[in-house]
Amino acid sequence: MLLGLAAAVFLATILSLQIELDQRHDEQADRIESLRLLPRGELLRPALIGFHHLGADLIWLKIVQVLGEPVVTDQDYEWLYHALDVVTTLDPQYSYAYDVGGTILAELANRVDWSNQLLEKGVKANPAAWRLPFVLGFNYFFHLSDYVKAGEYMGQAAKIPGRPLYVDTLAARLYVEGGSPLLALQYLEVMIQQAEDPQLRVIYEEKYKEVVISRDLGTMDQALARYKQTRGRNPQTLADLVKEGYLAAVPEEPFGGEYRMNSETREIESSTHRERLRLHRPD
Amino acid sequence: MRVLSIALNTFRENIREKLLYNLLIFALLMIGSSVLLTRLTVGEWDRLIINLGLSSMNLFGVLIAIFVGISLVSKEIDKKTIYTILSKPVPRYEFLLGKYLGLMLTLLVNTAVMVVGLIAVMIYLDAPVTLLLFEAVGFIFLELVVITAVGLLFSTFTSTTLSAIFTLAIYVVGHLSTDLKQFGAQMDGLGKAVLNTIYYILPNLERFNLKGQVIHKVNVVGTDVLLTTAYGLAYAGLLLALASIIFQRRDFQ
Repeated sequence: MLLGLAAAVFLATILSLQIELDQRHDEQADRIESLRLLPRGELLRPALIGFHHLGADLIWLKIVQVLGEPVVTDQDYEWLYHALDVVTTLDPQYSYAYDVGGTILAELANRVDWSNQLLEKGVKANPAAWRLPFVLGFNYFFHLSDYVKAGEYMGQAAKIPGRPLYVDTLAARLYVEGGSPLLALQYLEVMIQQAEDPQLRVIYEEKYKEVVISRDLGTMDQALARYKQTRGRNPQTLADLVKEGYLAAVPEEPFGGEYRMNSETREIESSTHRERLRLHRPD
Repeated sequence: MRVLSIALNTFRENIREKLLYNLLIFALLMIGSSVLLTRLTVGEWDRLIINLGLSSMNLFGVLIAIFVGISLVSKEIDKKTIYTILSKPVPRYEFLLGKYLGLMLTLLVNTAVMVVGLIAVMIYLDAPVTLLLFEAVGFIFLELVVITAVGLLFSTFTSTTLSAIFTLAIYVVGHLSTDLKQFGAQMDGLGKAVLNTIYYILPNLERFNLKGQVIHKVNVVGTDVLLTTAYGLAYAGLLLALASIIFQRRDFQ
């Protein structure tokens, strides 16, 4: 009876201590810390005595848990690159980890350099995975505006069996058109279609709309230039362009705002995105 | 015939061990846990099931091989039943071989149960079951064939605790032996010779590891399968021969 009571007291103490200790720690920070402090893959692999593939799976699982939370508090993302590097050293053929890891590093963490490093490591180890040069090409196209490199990687992807047909089309157009918004839209359509992760799809859809703005601004800029050329003055509003036959219609702004003429600079702009997309500045 | 009856007797004895069931249940739980884990992961979830399944099969198989294997002989000595057997016209090597085959039969049944568990999980989760999976399981069993022989060899001349430690050490080193060869390649003269010798003497257990090939669907060449199987069986044969030589000379008081 007394012993049973003692056991119950101990159990209650353990549980309350456990809860108390948990609350003293930020769980996400702890998880990120454990990923940041992982030993290098080259050292971890022998320590796993033949179970390194399972090791790669479990670390991947941990990464996914942190990324799956609504807010990732740690914004430096160095832990993510390190953990992905460890996963892909433990299992160099884990092409999905390069693919999704590379995409997240570029899109969520805004670290295209790390993304490219990881993807290039993946291309070396997996010459048969077309997604890896494809995503690399996307990085060079979209984030670095390097259309020559983007075209090269796309061409590389277009040689790999098992790729969808549009890879070939994109590769061919990259060589010819470089940074045209229409090409960017086609590229993004593919990325949206292929994104399995809803978070990534949202990011791509945002990008898509931004490129739509850029495409629309391009069309309207052309109409404006023609107007100025023939009339020798600026129109008062965008509606003038339509009224006098220079533009078929003022396009719909994809974020729900409107296109308008800036009264000071006399340039056409979007009410939601004042900054023009870097991609389509004349280089 | 005598070998067979010793083997069957050992098998019957083994399946009465509580340790065996504990490990088996644990292995099945781990295989089953992949049902939960696949819900948490993103992408290529079937590799998690296969990895977790094959790894549990491997790990628990090795644990059973070691901890049941090392007590095969010592138990007979402790219970003094060895006198009644060896006083009969049974050559000692036959006794050892019978014990060994008995445990292998136990391990075969165990592995079969775990495979059924894994396949049930895979069918439940709609993961494709490939021929390669069975090759990998076969190689895991081959590793058990070697590890059990290692345990048996040690148990013929040391205590059970030491045998367990030695066998575990061989298991770990056996998975790292390729590194030994790499280190050797960077050295010169004596160091290289020593490391190379150790490399060729130790079992190269990484050869029996096909987990990566299964998840990445890389087919293994038929001749490789045959040669590796021959390697495993020959290695086990060598260990059993050594164990028999030592056991033959042992004096039971």
